[in-house]
Amino acid sequence: MDTLLQLALANLVSPMVLFFVLGVAAGWLKSDLAIPEPISKGLALYLMLAIGFKGGVELEANGLGGTVVAAMALALALSFSMPLLAYALLRAATRLDVPNAAAVAAHYGSVSVVTFVAATGFLGYRAVPYEGYLVAMLALMETPAIVTGLLLARRSKTAGTTKPQAPLFSKELAREVFLSGSVVLLGGSLAIGWITGAKGMAVMAPGIVDPFKAVLAVFLLDMGLLVGRRLQDFRTVGWPVVAFGLYMPLIGATIGLVAAHAIGLSLGGITLVAVLAASASYIVVPAAMRVSLPQANPAIYVPLSLAITFPFNLIAGIPLYHAAAKWIASM
Amino acid sequence: MTQLYRKKKIEIVVEAARARAIIEMIEAVGAKGYTIVPDVSGRGNRGVRDEAHLSDVFRNMLIIVIAAEEIANRIIEQLQPLLKDYAGIVVISDVEVIRDEHF
Repeated sequence: MDTLLQLALANLVSPMVLFFVLGVAAGWLKSDLAIPEPISKGLALYLMLAIGFKGGVELEANGLGGTVVAAMALALALSFSMPLLAYALLRAATRLDVPNAAAVAAHYGSVSVVTFVAATGFLGYRAVPYEGYLVAMLALMETPAIVTGLLLARRSKTAGTTKPQAPLFSKELAREVFLSGSVVLLGGSLAIGWITGAKGMAVMAPGIVDPFKAVLAVFLLDMGLLVGRRLQDFRTVGWPVVAFGLYMPLIGATIGLVAAHAIGLSLGGITLVAVLAASASYIVVPAAMRVSLPQANPAIYVPLSLAITFPFNLIAGIPLYHAAAKWIASM
Repeated sequence: MTQLYRKKKIEIVVEAARARAIIEMIEAVGAKGYTIVPDVSGRGNRGVRDEAHLSDVFRNMLIIVIAAEEIANRIIEQLQPLLKDYAGIVVISDVEVIRDEHF
């Protein structure tokens, strides 16, 4: 346990986490520090482009082997099935009604791009290699959970009504989900990295390799500000739900660790799959839920995934999952 | 003196997630145009709504439509079901315009 504590402390003093903490403190104290919205959106786009491109290049170098296919299948399976578990837990342990439980469940089957990027930063900081193609898992896990969440909400709705149902996947939702900026940019830069390979990397490297961690630190400062301003929303969410926001990542991470080990990923890869399974969406899924499940309250699911699960994973989760991955990889 | 024409002005403050559906409806009932203020903030029965960030979940928009009374009535009729479960404010007023053929 000594090493785990050391790892957690070492994570705390990385510039990425410290800038995040600075942002949380400034936001909480209502400082007027703010990163203009177009810039923070630009930073997010840069991070997705960089990580997608690197993943594509890695995919080109490794080829589509059995492990790659297994990882992609695992991504789909996790994203489709984890909302079922989350929903069961929420209905048993909290007072959330059906639409809200279904909406929250969808968030926990989907993933947080920033948490994943921060985890790659954590591994890079420690020079732990990982399978770059796992970024394709990230892209694949964003949306299946939305379908499961909507099915959960609908299943219990049909009991009382005789009204003909609207199609589950409306045109509006499809646009929101498949053409959402993050999905397009992640998938697109992955494809470009895959097509151009090492030559493409030589062109892009000065822009996307060295500055990556510094840009991530600036972006995390901004995320911190956002989280800090939302900290007061805890009260409206309620303690059983807050607790869910802390134990659900641990359950997800455990499932991710075991599954990633089973398909034969490296230490870094196991860590990243655990992070993917532990993280909750706060960009793509809230937008999709607002369009398709308006009965669910965004003042519950946004603070829960953004102000509770995200900081938890960033500060405690990533080093913890990495330590657990070390343990499971050494078995 | 310039001739003035009586029209109805409908102002809709609505969360961004619903704006697209409302704009499609406005076009479908035959309004010739609309104006959008993409980012407005304030306080209402859902608390302060000013978090225009990352996803558009807490962003509000202002849609302004000026139309003949008959079309305005159709818009108002169809707005009600579209706003169910969404944050929204709808205000209707009588206005005068100078270029009749634009509305």
